[in-house]
Amino acid sequence: MNRLGGDTLRPLPRPGRWLLYAVLAAFAVFFLLPLVVVILNSFRTAQEIARTSVIGWPLGLAWQNYAEAWGGYCIAQRCEGIQPYMVNSFLLVIPATILSTALGAIAGYSISLWRFRGDTIVFAIVVMGVFLPEQMKLIPWALVLRELGLTNTIGALVLIHTVQGMSFTTLFCRNYYIGIPQDLLKAAKVDGAGYFRTFWRIILPLSPPILIVTVIWQFTGIWNEFLYGVTFTTGGQQPVTAALIAIATTPATDLVEYGIQSAAVLLAALPTLLVYFFGGRYFLRGLTAGAVK
Amino acid sequence: MLVRRRDLLAGAAAAAALPQSLSAQTKPRVTFISQWSSGSDGAAISGLGKRLEEEGGIWQHSPVPGFTTEMMNKLRADIIAGNPPAASQLKGPEIAVWSKIAPTVNLDPLVSAAGYEKLIPTELIGLHKPQGHWIALPMQVYRTTTLFMSRPAMKKVGADKAPKTWAEFNALATEMKKAGITPVANGGIRWDDGMKLEIALSGINCEAYRGALMKLDPKALKSAEMLQAFAQLRKFADWMDPAIAAQHYSVNLPKFLKGEMGMLMMGGWAQGVIKNLGGNLDDVLITSVPQDEGKPVFVLNADSMIFWARKEPDLAAGQQLLAKLMMQKDVQEKYSQTTGSIPVRTDVDLSGPAWTDGQREASAVLNDSFKSKRVLLSLAHNMAQTNPITAAMIDVLTEYVHNDKVTPEQGVARLAAAVDNARG
Amino acid sequence: MKGRLGRYLPLLVIWLPLLINAGHVVGFTAWTTWLSFTPSDLLPEYDWAGLRSYRSVLRSENTEVAYINLLIYSVGFVGLTTLVGFVLAVLIDQRIRAENLLRTIYLYPLAVSFVVTGTAWGWLFNPGLGIQKFARSLGWSDFRFDWITDRDFALYTIVFAAVWHAAGFAMALFLAGLRSIDPDLAKAAQIDGAGPVRYYLRIAAPGLAPIAISVLVILLQFAIKTFDLVRAMTGGGPGIATTLPALVVYDFMFQRGQLGRGSAAAVLLLLSLLLVLLPYYAYAQWRARKERAANE
Repeated sequence: MNRLGGDTLRPLPRPGRWLLYAVLAAFAVFFLLPLVVVILNSFRTAQEIARTSVIGWPLGLAWQNYAEAWGGYCIAQRCEGIQPYMVNSFLLVIPATILSTALGAIAGYSISLWRFRGDTIVFAIVVMGVFLPEQMKLIPWALVLRELGLTNTIGALVLIHTVQGMSFTTLFCRNYYIGIPQDLLKAAKVDGAGYFRTFWRIILPLSPPILIVTVIWQFTGIWNEFLYGVTFTTGGQQPVTAALIAIATTPATDLVEYGIQSAAVLLAALPTLLVYFFGGRYFLRGLTAGAVK
Repeated sequence: MLVRRRDLLAGAAAAAALPQSLSAQTKPRVTFISQWSSGSDGAAISGLGKRLEEEGGIWQHSPVPGFTTEMMNKLRADIIAGNPPAASQLKGPEIAVWSKIAPTVNLDPLVSAAGYEKLIPTELIGLHKPQGHWIALPMQVYRTTTLFMSRPAMKKVGADKAPKTWAEFNALATEMKKAGITPVANGGIRWDDGMKLEIALSGINCEAYRGALMKLDPKALKSAEMLQAFAQLRKFADWMDPAIAAQHYSVNLPKFLKGEMGMLMMGGWAQGVIKNLGGNLDDVLITSVPQDEGKPVFVLNADSMIFWARKEPDLAAGQQLLAKLMMQKDVQEKYSQTTGSIPVRTDVDLSGPAWTDGQREASAVLNDSFKSKRVLLSLAHNMAQTNPITAAMIDVLTEYVHNDKVTPEQGVARLAAAVDNARG
Repeated sequence: MKGRLGRYLPLLVIWLPLLINAGHVVGFTAWTTWLSFTPSDLLPEYDWAGLRSYRSVLRSENTEVAYINLLIYSVGFVGLTTLVGFVLAVLIDQRIRAENLLRTIYLYPLAVSFVVTGTAWGWLFNPGLGIQKFARSLGWSDFRFDWITDRDFALYTIVFAAVWHAAGFAMALFLAGLRSIDPDLAKAAQIDGAGPVRYYLRIAAPGLAPIAISVLVILLQFAIKTFDLVRAMTGGGPGIATTLPALVVYDFMFQRGQLGRGSAAAVLLLLSLLLVLLPYYAYAQWRARKERAANE
């Protein structure tokens, strides 16, 4: 996995190098623009923003926006800010991510390395799940949840995201495990290792790159999901995406609180941003190791 | 696992009547779903909840974040789960549609005890009694055919009174345009576009409106009045700010109050918006939109609550308490004062200081139109038709407003076709 | 005893989760397809209504606009994202300083939900609030950037925001591909005197073809499922100028309460997905066969 070119390719000449950095910087500005705007706005008051535009330097540091967004803002008649909703999101995302990743790893392992009857068809169906639009599944899930007696709970969302998440995680893991050299497996079989031992001794230690990709992907996807979150939970159990929507739908009779909205958006996006900030390099490494074929 | 409509309806046939007597300990309780989580609507519904608690009840309101669709999704999910709230927001013909999928409460005894039917506009009554008995109650009434005029703008063109016919309106708008004022300050959202047609048509001919938009009579939909309304709508579109598409009308209010924009055709609720923006209502002249034939028409928009049958005695008692409160004069007064609407009851005295001139004027027109049978139901606010038909019609209207290549003749044809398609 | 358990336990572990997932895919799709042939409105009903819902959906003004938009949007979004992703990958591959920082900057939009992306870019594109207002406040009073309110241009604002969100992901995949190209190939190229441009275009790019295809397919399915982004940015407006098939499904099913038609719209969406996936599947099979032949 050496850097391509390494010491072999001729480096670009001087002016080319400046151009390179200029282009990279221009792209960086494009990508950073919304983030910077939202950060700046989170320090401005709503009146400032309404008077000028969303692009502007704060007149002072309106820290109260953050305090309000976190703990005091009235969302749907509860005046506790987004903090309880953040807790709900964590309670939802962590089990769902762990479960869907674990199940995906096992499924991917089975499909790629243990041939069994019907495996191609099942895999094809599982992968189809990745492409089904959310809206279509809303009512069927409502009916299923009714039968299971799980309406209006976080558990309902965990179930939904685990079952659906398996499609992605199985796809990723299977593509990765297919690349494991056959010799390793043959050696294990010769040693008498069965299904579980092979997984534990050989596959699992090789898995971190793909598991990181899967965990990052699932964490982000489930944290940011809102349709099911809003429909299948109520009031105090809703995830933070529902709270953001509630803050954003200011009725026409009120001044739009852009400052507090910006602070809330940043706070809510912080977990996933941190995940990409610290895990970005591992994400890339996992992809390089063959997650996507 | 399959939910059969028959099973759900089995309970509906026996719509719950009076509750069993409540034990001394159980307090009446209400679970309520709506989209009203903030603003004046939120304040009003919370006020209602507080009143319920003062009367000894327990109030459990779960507002759904988002707009009406999200609220209805939640309601439907709860109904499918067999756990509907004791009461929920629902309005217009949707009350009839939803009452078929889950059992509701028969409020007839309470309504006749309060002598309520004689006090409210007839058009509203039918909407709340789809199967012949009361299952829902209206909460507040708005007029959608209100004309707001910017006094500074009027001064600039030397106008001293509001236009009384569309011809006068068009002349005034042309004057304003020449003076550099944007004549129409409406926004570009779907329902705003739909409202502009209903305002035009109701102002042109009351019965044409009733036939076309309320009864969906094919002849009325293709009538000369309809063509005229579309032509007027095209004029509105040309007089609006071209950059306003997809935006809420409130972004125009600062310019409107300064006199850079002239006229706003909106529902009575715009008063509250102007006030909240810090605007001075003295700068605004509030009256009815122009009327080409006869006395002013009142196009009505009302919010309502529907009561879902529950077996629990505390919920049933809560429903009775809530229904009684909702029909009371003082509760309606407080509700309408908070939101800027008009009370549902026609016997409320609006002369006190807590009411604005705009509310008084609207209420007078309502009483008048009630007597002369010129009350109509709003199309754009889901009062005249069910959601699918309304949505299909507004698709055509909003496209018409924002696409000036569509001629009035094409607009009329498309509207009629959309109605057919949505009904078929 | 252990022997029997040992034999059946793996089967249970393999099959149970797979069956649940596969079951939900097949079950929900079948249920939706069945519903599309019923007269369901607010709640599911199971009587047969033939093609009524399909006819209604196909004649509805929404649908035509939505699929035309989908075509324009897909081509724009997938094309631009792939292009930008490839360019970024190539640039980052040049042994630059601050690679980690830049890579994080390009990748972080993926962490942001579509709702937030749509809201933030919606603010920026709003002529009364965002870039246009800012430029005018700087004195540039004729500056116009009101695409989002223009029927003909609003769709491109959505493309823009979507590219912003996904380009980092395309870049990551291309970078992964570039870094796994056989180093001997690079050495051979250098010995042959190939400059960087020729290298990337003639040698690396063809080697990236499988990855490019994966990128295209993943992006295309993003495009076809786009919903949150449009709802947050324009709500489908102005008028219905930015509506897309996923929004049409939601509109019929939930805003209008017509499940039958909504299901028909969903089935149409799935069919258009198949149009993309079947060729990909055929391609994957062909490539697998080629590899097998090459290994023999």
